[in-house]
Amino acid sequence: MKGPLSYLQPGRNTKVSDQSETMSFIPGQPVTAVVQRIEIRKLRQGEHLILGFSIGGGIDQDPGQNPFSEDKSDKGIYVTRVTPEGPAEVAGLMMGDKVMQVNGWDMTMVTHDQARKRLTKKNEDVVRLLVTRKSLEQAVKHSMM
Amino acid sequence: MFCRNQTTRATIARGSALEMEIRRGKFRRSVFLDTLQDSDIQKKIDHEIRMRDGACKLLAACSQRDQALEASKSLLTCNIRIMAYMSELQRMKEAQVMQRVALRSSDAGPTDDRLPCKGKVAISDLRIPLMWKDTEYFKNKGELHRCAVFCLLQVGAEIHDTDMVIVDRTLTDICFDNTIVFSEASPGFELRVELYSCCSEEDYSAGSTHRKLASKLSSSLGRSAGKKLRVAMDPGACSPISNGGGATLLLPLPSVGPKYHLLAHTTLSLSHVQDSFRTHDLSISGNEECSHWVPLYGNVCCRLAAQPHCMTQQMISGCLKVKQFGGDPQSWTNVYGVLKGTNLFCYHRQEDIEANVEPAFTISINKKTRIRASEKDLHSKAQSICISNHYGGEEVTHTLSADSREDTHRWMEAFWQQFYDMSQWKQCCDDLMKIELPSPRKPTLVTSKQGSLYHEMVIDTSDDISTVTDILARRMQELELRSQLGTSPPWMSLFEESPGCPRTHNRLPHSPLRCPRPGLLSSEASLTSDSYSPCSTSPCSRHSGWAEPLSSPSSHFRPRTLSLDAKLSTLRGRGYGGVLQCSCQPPSSSSLAPIPAQRIPQATLSCSSSTSSNSSSEGSHSPELSNGTSFSRPSSARRSLRNLRAKLDPRNWLQSQV
Repeated sequence: MKGPLSYLQPGRNTKVSDQSETMSFIPGQPVTAVVQRIEIRKLRQGEHLILGFSIGGGIDQDPGQNPFSEDKSDKGIYVTRVTPEGPAEVAGLMMGDKVMQVNGWDMTMVTHDQARKRLTKKNEDVVRLLVTRKSLEQAVKHSMM
Repeated sequence: MFCRNQTTRATIARGSALEMEIRRGKFRRSVFLDTLQDSDIQKKIDHEIRMRDGACKLLAACSQRDQALEASKSLLTCNIRIMAYMSELQRMKEAQVMQRVALRSSDAGPTDDRLPCKGKVAISDLRIPLMWKDTEYFKNKGELHRCAVFCLLQVGAEIHDTDMVIVDRTLTDICFDNTIVFSEASPGFELRVELYSCCSEEDYSAGSTHRKLASKLSSSLGRSAGKKLRVAMDPGACSPISNGGGATLLLPLPSVGPKYHLLAHTTLSLSHVQDSFRTHDLSISGNEECSHWVPLYGNVCCRLAAQPHCMTQQMISGCLKVKQFGGDPQSWTNVYGVLKGTNLFCYHRQEDIEANVEPAFTISINKKTRIRASEKDLHSKAQSICISNHYGGEEVTHTLSADSREDTHRWMEAFWQQFYDMSQWKQCCDDLMKIELPSPRKPTLVTSKQGSLYHEMVIDTSDDISTVTDILARRMQELELRSQLGTSPPWMSLFEESPGCPRTHNRLPHSPLRCPRPGLLSSEASLTSDSYSPCSTSPCSRHSGWAEPLSSPSSHFRPRTLSLDAKLSTLRGRGYGGVLQCSCQPPSSSSLAPIPAQRIPQATLSCSSSTSSNSSSEGSHSPELSNGTSFSRPSSARRSLRNLRAKLDPRNWLQSQV
C-alpha cells in the first residue's frame, strides 16, 4: 500500500522549491518535505482498534530526547516503534518516520496527546498518514541526478 | 436661633439649655480615664519586657534553625511592642499635661469635639505575590534559597504578628492565613503592614563562625554567595532598618541568631476598607543583594473590613411614643426603641428583643435621614423629635416623643452621635461588613501550600513505599474520575490481576512475550550495542532467562532513592539510539526509573522485551534495573504510580502506542 511520492504542501503557505530541502524545521515557516502516503487499516483487537506502532514527540515534549530526529529541536511526531506484522508495518510505515498529517490533520504542531488522539479515533477504520523520512529525500535526489 | 451643626443632621437650638447640658456632660467624663490607662500601659510594657527576656534566653539556648527563627521573631515583635507602648505612654502624658493646662484656663470654653465611636478593624487573607526569575522557578537552577517571613500589623499601640512562613522558589505567593482583629480603632486609624524577612539558610551571625567556616569549606563560594557574604559582613549597607528600627539603639539585642530585616511596608486606612479583596502597593526596602531578599511583585492583597460600634452595638434604647406624621394626633404608639446601626427598631415590648420577636416597625436612620427636634408641640408639653426619610420617592415622617425632657435629650444626643459616626466611618456604615473571628489555632500544617507533584513525592529511603503508592493511587483515582468517566483506558485492565492475557496479538508469533504480564518493571535490561536498527532482530543473551521470571512473580520492591534525577541525566548523557547499558546495582541503591506511559501491555514490556529477541522494541527509552533475573510484579497502585510519574515528568520523552 505504498502510495506515490509527493511533495507535501501543508496549509495555505505553499512554497515551491527547486531542490528538496533538509528536514529542518523552522517554526513559523512553511514546511516542504518529501512525503509518502501510507494508508493503515486499523485492526480490531477485542474492543480496541490498533494501528501497531508507537509515537513519540510533541510540542509538549523535550525534543532533545528524540533519537530519530535529525534536528534536535524538532518537536514533531515520530514513529518510535513498529509492531512487526502489524497493520502499520504492512502498510509500509517504518521506524523513524516523521508523521506530517493524519487524515488531513496537521501533526507538525501538536501535543503528544493530541497526536495520539488523532490516531486513535474510534469511528475511523482507516488512517491515511503522510510521513517523511530521510531516505525518501535521498531517493528523490538520486532520481533527479 | 437654630444653628445647624455642620457635621450632623440633628438640629438643636444653640444656646439652649439642652445644648449646654449635653456639652457639660461629655466634658466631665473624659477627665477620669487617664490615670487608669497609664497603669494599663505600664503593665503591658512590663509584660513585653518579660517576654523579651524569655525570647533572648530561648534564642541563646536553641539549636534548631526553626526554633531560632521563631524566637527571633518573638524578640523582634516584643521590641516593637515595647517601643510602641512607650511612645503611647509618652503621648498620653503629654495629652494629660495639655488638658490640665486647658482646664485651668476654662474661659476658652469647651470646643465642640465630638468623638466618633470606635470600631473593629480586621485584616485577613494577606497574600503577597512573588516574582521569581523564570529560570529559577521552572528549571530548578541553583540551590533552594529559603527565607523566613512574617508580617507585623500595627494600629496605634496595638501590634499583632502573623505566623512565620518559609518562602522558597516553589511558592508563587506568600500567604498568611491569620485574621487579625483590632478591637478599638478610630476611624482615622492607620494600619501599618510591615513584612520582615530573614535568610533561613546560612547563619551569617558573628557568633557562629565555626559553622560558617565549615559550610564555606564544603561548598565553594560562588559569585552570588560571595556577594551575600560581603553584604552580610557589612551590616549598614543593606538596609538601614533592621530589627525594628530605632529599637536597636535603645534595647540591646543578642548578636547570635537569625536577624529579621524589614523588607516591605505599607499603610492602610479607612479609604482602603472594603468588604472584598483589594490590592495595595508595597514600598520595598532592600534589594537583590541583601541576604534577606525575596523577590516581591510589589503588591499585597488583603481584605480589610471594619465594623464601627455604631453598627454593631445598641447605641441607645428606651421607651418612646411614636406617631406617624399626618395621622391622627392622638394615635401615639408606645414602643421600646433600640437604635442600632442604620435602624431604629421599635418593639412592642422590651422583652421582645430577648425573645427575638420581630420589631413592630423599623425606622431607618441613615445618611439621608433628617431629624429635627421641635420645641413646641401643640398637643404635648414635652419636646418631640421628627424623623424624615425618603422611602421610594415618598417622604415619610415619624414623630417620637419621650417620657421626659431628659430622655428627649438623650435621644437627640444619640442621633447626633450616630450621624457623626456615620460621617466619620463613611463606607463602613452602609452595610455591616462581616468579620470572621479567628478560630482557635489549628496545628500548623507542614505541607507546602503550592507544591508540585514532585515535592509531595520526595521520599526518604527509609519511608515505606506503600505510603507513596497510597498517595498516588488516590491521585490516580482523582485523575481517572476527572478525565475518563465511563470506559477506562485499555491499559487499565492491565492493572487488574486478571489471569491470562487480556489481549493476545494474533499476528505476533512471540506470544508469550506479548502476554501482558504486568510485571516487568525491574528486570535487567542489557541491550546489545547494535540493537538500534530498524527491522533487525538482535538476539540477546538473556532470552533464556526470560521465561522463568514470567512465571514466578516475586515482589522485589526496592525503595526508591532520590538518585532518580541522577539516573535520568546519566541516561541522557549516554545518548539514545537504543544504546542503553544499564549497570546492575545492589538492591539498596537501585533506582526504579519511571517507564513512559505505555497504553498497551506490550509497550510496558518494551524494556524487558529488549532483553529478549523481540526485535522491534529497540529504541525504547528507559531501562529498569535490578540485580537479578527475577522481575517483580508490583501491585497495580505502584504501576499506576509509575505511569503517572512518567507521564508527568517533563524529562521523559513520552511514547504512546496507537
